[in-house]
Amino acid sequence: MILTTKDLRYTYQNGKAINFPDVELDVGKKVLIVGYSGSGKTTLLNLIAGALKVQKGEITLAGKNYSSLSFSQLDKVRADSIGYIFQTLNLIPFLSVIENIELGVKFSKNRRSNVGNLTQEIVRLLTSLGLSEKVLDISVNQLSIGQQQRVAVARALLGQPVLVLADEPTSALDRESANNFLNELSATFDTSKQALLMVSHDLSLAPYFDQVIDITNKNV
Amino acid sequence: MFRLLIKSIRSRLLPVSLVIITLMASMVLLLSIERIQKATETGFNQSISGVDAIIGPRSSSLELVLYTVFHLGRPTNNITMKTINDIKQRKDIEYLVPIALGDSHRGFRVIATEKNYFKYIKYSSDKSLSFSDGQAFNEISGTVIGADVAKKLDYQVGTKIHISHGSSQTVAKKHDDFSFEVTGVLEKTGTPIDQAVFVDLKGYELIHLGWQSGTKIFNLKQLDLSTLSHEELTPKTITAAFAGLKSKLTLFRFAADVKKYPNEAISAVIPGIALSELWSMVGIVDQGFELLSWIIIVISLIAMVSLIISSIDNRKREMTIYRANGATPMYLSTLVVLEAVFIGLTAIIGAIIFVTLVTYLATEQLNLILGITPEFDWISWDEAKVFAIILLAGILSSLVPAIIVFKKNLHHTLS
Repeated sequence: MILTTKDLRYTYQNGKAINFPDVELDVGKKVLIVGYSGSGKTTLLNLIAGALKVQKGEITLAGKNYSSLSFSQLDKVRADSIGYIFQTLNLIPFLSVIENIELGVKFSKNRRSNVGNLTQEIVRLLTSLGLSEKVLDISVNQLSIGQQQRVAVARALLGQPVLVLADEPTSALDRESANNFLNELSATFDTSKQALLMVSHDLSLAPYFDQVIDITNKNV
Repeated sequence: MFRLLIKSIRSRLLPVSLVIITLMASMVLLLSIERIQKATETGFNQSISGVDAIIGPRSSSLELVLYTVFHLGRPTNNITMKTINDIKQRKDIEYLVPIALGDSHRGFRVIATEKNYFKYIKYSSDKSLSFSDGQAFNEISGTVIGADVAKKLDYQVGTKIHISHGSSQTVAKKHDDFSFEVTGVLEKTGTPIDQAVFVDLKGYELIHLGWQSGTKIFNLKQLDLSTLSHEELTPKTITAAFAGLKSKLTLFRFAADVKKYPNEAISAVIPGIALSELWSMVGIVDQGFELLSWIIIVISLIAMVSLIISSIDNRKREMTIYRANGATPMYLSTLVVLEAVFIGLTAIIGAIIFVTLVTYLATEQLNLILGITPEFDWISWDEAKVFAIILLAGILSSLVPAIIVFKKNLHHTLS
């Protein structure tokens, strides 16, 4: 298994606590976590991304148990093994498209070593996501929201991190754009090396995923 | 990292530029004040060398130095030639060079003196006066001009000039009944000597023969000059005299004796002591300006830190994207500190360029107004230390926002 979580429980500062269902993710699998706003989807994502310290339970990614790692070690795990797609505002406005995508391997030598010719790989990813290589040097502000999300996907996939985390990436897109986005993500995602974990409030996205985990009603 | 830094700064060009300009302006102010003050002091101190004392009517010592050496202000009284001749008899005197002031030529001061002026009067570190063309006057109609006079008025050896009565630059009453001929042009000295016109004391006395209370009584052309005796052409009074002693050890004794001279109220002023009075007066003002400049520098650094802190908030998304892609808190903190270094270094480079420009312009003005030409360095060791202190202060102040960034939790920004 690429990712496993077991008996995860998180208590917020206001005393509210959530028991998360166990997650198991293997190479090539796509899992959708659904729940309403405030149900803890982003908290689960933050725990898996190493942005929050595990209070109770276990998370293991690519053989590394998070409980035994410091924050700086978690930063390294995130750099080497995780690609992250935000809900919106994924890109840095003063960088060009190619410079934004390059950030995916900028902080990890391991991930960088998985890529031969960087520009060629970026062009390959963009093309498979339906974007022309002509966008490489343009400002990201000239792209539509849908195009910006595709660039964010390219960055998350660059260097083949074992786990791709997506935090409601389709919430700002219309139905057709969302479907196109998920089709392209599925087609570009390397089923031989990577796993995808996405959170959303939209259950209609379920057909694109191998497994759906509902975390509603897990509050304590 | 540097590429990201530059691009990030470019996206916030206006606020960053304003901080750089503020910091730069405060450094230019501080350094310009120091440079101009030091250069003026050096220029003044080097304007006269080898003169141990200036003998003149008893009055303010500083005033005497200013009008005899720097041609600033006007003489308030004269001393008699008899007094000078008495003092010349002293055994401790090596030389005595009398000077008379009061006339001018097209805005330049006329100094009436003896030929030994060009032998004994030195400048800078005991450099002797020399001629770029010609030689000192031998006739009473001869005149020697300073380098700036020759350049500005396009005079050379052989040019004939008339001197005006008084030192006003406006149309003055000319001594047009007698002309002086340029016999020599002095090499540039960077002192008020460059802006002076020198005539023989006898020639000076001659042109004033037909004058009374500032008005011409008769024309010299009506006189047969060959009938005038040596005594008639020897001035009765002069403005002051430059004295050189055989031994500097006797200087204070000499000054005390001159002050006690029974036949006339005179004093012997030591130029260095008189000038130090000037610098102590000016120094208080300079210290005030320096303090003000340092205050402005501190305010500029505070503005820089405020800019960086407020930009952190605006750049929350940018920082989050870096962190989400694996950047460590140390990386982001380093980015913040480097931004302060960039701002500091850019301001320093700009300040060096501008302060050089300001001091170049000041050199022109100092030459124009005071006749001194101070030398300026590109950057001195002391100035480099000031820049280093300011840069270090900038880096230390940037640690505040750097720590803020370092401590920011990723999960707060990922949600």
